[in-house]
Amino acid sequence: MSAKKLLVLSVLAVFAGAAAKPTDASAQTRVTIGVTETMETYNPYGDSVSLLYGIWCQVMGCLGTYDFNKSEYVGMLAEKWEVKDPNNWIFHLRKDIKWHDGSPLTADDVVHSFNRVRNDPQSKQGQNIAPIASASVVDKYTVRFTTKQPTAPLPEYIFDRLIITNRAIYEKYGAETADRKYPIGAGPYKFKELVPGQRFVITKNIDYPGVKQLKQAPDEIVYRVMREDEQRVTALLNGEIQIAQFIPPHLQKRVESDPKTKATAVDSVEIMFLAMQPKPPFDKKEVRQAVCHAIDRDRIINTVLQGLATRLDGPIGPGQYAYDPNLKPKYDYNPEKSKKLLAQAGYPNGVDVELETPVGRYTLDKQINEVITQMLNAAGFRAKLLTPEWATLWSNVQAGKVPFYYMGRGSIVDPSVALSQYFETGGSPRIGFSNPKFDKLLATERQTFDPAKRKKVLSEAMSLLTEEAPACFMWRHKMIYGMAKNIDYKPTPSGRMFGEDMRVLK
Amino acid sequence: MPVLLLITLLVFVLLHAAPGDPASMLLGQENTAADLEQARRRWGLDQPILVQYFKFAAAAATGDLGKSFRFSRPVKEVIAERLPATCELAFFSILIALTLAIPLGVWSGARPNSWIDNVGTSFGLFGISMPNFWLGIMLILVCAGSFHILPSGGRSTYGVAGAPQTGFYFLDSLLDGNWAALKDAMLHVLLPALALGANMVGILMRVTRSSVLDADTEEYVITARAKGLGDRAVLWRHVFSNALIPIVTVAGLELGTLLSGSIIVETVFAWPGIGSLLITGVTSRDYPLVTGVVMMYTVAFVVINLIIDALYAVIDPRIRY
Amino acid sequence: MPSSILESATDAPVATREARRARRLPLKVVVGGAVVAALVIVGVLSPWLAPHDPQYQALEAMLKPPEWLGGAHVLGTDNLGRDILSRIIYGARVSLLVAFAVVLISGAVGILLGAISGYFGGKVDFAIQKLVEVVWAFPALLLAITILAFLGQGLFNLILALVAQRWIQYCRVVRGQTLSLRDRDFVAATRALGAGSPRVIWRHILPNLLQISLVIGTFSMASAIISEASLSFLGLGVPPGIPSWGTMLADSRSYISTAWWLALFPGLAIFVTVLGINLLGDGVRDLLDPRLKRAMKH
Repeated sequence: MSAKKLLVLSVLAVFAGAAAKPTDASAQTRVTIGVTETMETYNPYGDSVSLLYGIWCQVMGCLGTYDFNKSEYVGMLAEKWEVKDPNNWIFHLRKDIKWHDGSPLTADDVVHSFNRVRNDPQSKQGQNIAPIASASVVDKYTVRFTTKQPTAPLPEYIFDRLIITNRAIYEKYGAETADRKYPIGAGPYKFKELVPGQRFVITKNIDYPGVKQLKQAPDEIVYRVMREDEQRVTALLNGEIQIAQFIPPHLQKRVESDPKTKATAVDSVEIMFLAMQPKPPFDKKEVRQAVCHAIDRDRIINTVLQGLATRLDGPIGPGQYAYDPNLKPKYDYNPEKSKKLLAQAGYPNGVDVELETPVGRYTLDKQINEVITQMLNAAGFRAKLLTPEWATLWSNVQAGKVPFYYMGRGSIVDPSVALSQYFETGGSPRIGFSNPKFDKLLATERQTFDPAKRKKVLSEAMSLLTEEAPACFMWRHKMIYGMAKNIDYKPTPSGRMFGEDMRVLK
Repeated sequence: MPVLLLITLLVFVLLHAAPGDPASMLLGQENTAADLEQARRRWGLDQPILVQYFKFAAAAATGDLGKSFRFSRPVKEVIAERLPATCELAFFSILIALTLAIPLGVWSGARPNSWIDNVGTSFGLFGISMPNFWLGIMLILVCAGSFHILPSGGRSTYGVAGAPQTGFYFLDSLLDGNWAALKDAMLHVLLPALALGANMVGILMRVTRSSVLDADTEEYVITARAKGLGDRAVLWRHVFSNALIPIVTVAGLELGTLLSGSIIVETVFAWPGIGSLLITGVTSRDYPLVTGVVMMYTVAFVVINLIIDALYAVIDPRIRY
Repeated sequence: MPSSILESATDAPVATREARRARRLPLKVVVGGAVVAALVIVGVLSPWLAPHDPQYQALEAMLKPPEWLGGAHVLGTDNLGRDILSRIIYGARVSLLVAFAVVLISGAVGILLGAISGYFGGKVDFAIQKLVEVVWAFPALLLAITILAFLGQGLFNLILALVAQRWIQYCRVVRGQTLSLRDRDFVAATRALGAGSPRVIWRHILPNLLQISLVIGTFSMASAIISEASLSFLGLGVPPGIPSWGTMLADSRSYISTAWWLALFPGLAIFVTVLGINLLGDGVRDLLDPRLKRAMKH
């Protein structure tokens, strides 16, 4: 008993001296970011997660990125690029980029990286280079990408996504060791530490062109995995983290009301939609349109989402490439019209449908769909909601087994890729929609390299899509970032977080 | 050994039969059918289940648990990384549970049906009547949120601990002489251990109480009393030491529930242990990982069961097999 | 959760003081019984007791705090404007249904298999025990998750998943008891008198076991309710069309700091119910012990 008493007393003594916040003796600035996605592997090609693309781009290097402020693609490792002929793109690399061990970054490295994406056994990024047949070295700082077919939206595929890694190190040490022990990159930040499932730490690289002048950019960034919303917010308010990603709408007030923190909202590039497979009852256009009319999107946005979303009246919204504010038709909230459309389609007494949604994958997904279900029921449908586990739902969707579901498609800057995937004939069985006119339009835009002409063709395609309504486009969420008041940072819609964009104020 | 085989077979079959495909889980949303096929071929998923199982079993026999799809690393490595976290959590949960349960149980048992007994029993019952994740969330809210006394999750604060040696933060910090790290680790483990241990407090308390009650009428106690030993001495020297056996038995058996409960508690507290690893594995259909973890659990269970069976035979010699 | 082990490890006589006390119904049984009775009543009479439609979404009245003094929503509204009190009342049905179904089915399976296993011994025992070991070694939650992933969502599937792990609790205890009893004098005597095996099991062993099983059953019911909540927390519980305390608790996860009543009341409902059941079980156990001792002396 006395031994136990001693133990208890000593434990209590330790806690008695406990402080809430850990002391940090470093004079450098460190920004800790609470993130929801996870980081599991040392292999830059081993994951396909938006957050990690962003981090690896900072640490290793990417050819370029989409600048949302300028609404265009800007180069990072690449200085400029041109389309030589419809199937060949030439990228000119900057000549002043060095790997963190001093050697210059050359076209060899780019080609090597391309090959790794395609051939590395752990690679999960193959889809990013799908349209590219091969990559080749033209000279020390010039790379040529040869596509299988004319692919106007090529930057969408490789900017922000193709991670450039060091060929010499890889060849010297082999895959496993190179990634684990020699994570030598060429980016504005250096790899410091990765604890899988917990955190990724990077430090500022003042040798990268332009970084030295960014005195207020954080010297060290720690990305910490924190999946639970409440925990993330609590950590932010506690001072454990300085930036919290993806705060749900109802917790925004909590962040706003604390004097030490603030909340910033930014439109995401993920479109949320209700997909309908063209099988009965959704094989009739009227039924699909009835669904779109049945849902009062504004009401959902204003109540459930507390205004933190922008309604979509077409596949894409403002800020995304080829957005057309005058796209028609627009679906107003009109349950009476829904009932009429249903009657027209041969369902005067309503129709039974099953709606499936993931839970916890998208902002308030379950909640939103509970409301949608009720709205459908008030518009002549007899809807039942199912909430399968994500793995089950996703694989069923991919296999084309889910007739009616709520989902999002993220990372859309140039819509061509996503539209092709979901709506082009043979794109994927996810919806199974097929419309020859649409296919033709999409094929045309891919081969049109003139931006003005291309936008027009895209607009036409999207207009057709809205009319045929294989999916009802709902909204884009506003992503809320919670930040400590001394952090000056404007989050990007794509979820990529770059240290160079951050300022730590005193 | 055969149990091991059966279990792994069961896991394999169940996982594979469940809808959900690792390839589509792990490639991004932008993947194409060709990519999926390629990925499946790489991981050997295009072969019939039995073939896959035999390949796995053969490899496992040599100690190779395969490579996790999601982590792109050997399963053994991933498990080894996370195991200390769960062990630490389990250890402290049991410690807290015992620290609370034994005194409560002894006092309750010594004075049955008194107000002490009622308080004690109620306390014990509270523990088993609450879902542990609810307790966990409430604890985070109150201790980390409102009062800012404890960290809200994770296992350590970045920058405090030194380089990990054993993976057991407590051992490492002791070895390093790094008191800040030790304190940090303790603070982090407190809330999850409380949430996890609450269930056990109830059960252990009741076991203790029952043992004490029963022992009260045993002959050796009556003899001891007759010899003139005071109540207190009787209690602690005889009753307690005999009560220890069923307590240990139950505690050992409760380990199973603990591992189960750790799955949820680890999720709530973002504790990087085997429990959350399991959830990750199942939800992403990472077959090698899940099979590996289950195998590990099984081995642990088999060992514990053997010990318990042996103890049973010791306790009640009337049982014959 | 598994208090079955608790039973077999500490099943023993109680002091005479206790036996005398046990002749009046102990407080525990009264209180516990009252809670369980209340639960059953609420569950059965939900449509009449609930002030609102539990599924009606009033989007403009989301997250309203409780209006204690008799406003429209005594316990407040949830994240979709649904009345919490009504949802809790209806939620009792699910909890009851799940609890009873799981206990009855797992109990039946477990007791039967355990008695057979313990009584016959040998190969039968071996086979059944191997099965127990396999299921036992699986972390309960994982088994449930896998089964549910396999079967899909649904109330019945949920019950099945919960039963899959629970029957072994009964099996183990019952087997242990059967082994003890089997070798006791009264069984040998009965056998000597010419009774066949089934008769022995039915007449002598099972009645003794039933009492323990009753106690295990009450605790099992409690743990079934908690398990349902846990599975719902992970998103694998009852589908959205049916209000259940577990799902309510899961939904409340993100609102704990902003709308504490979402988490408190379902959690409280689970807590009180489970507590009541545990009290009842506890009390019944105390009650049965002296009788058990007497029965075993035959």
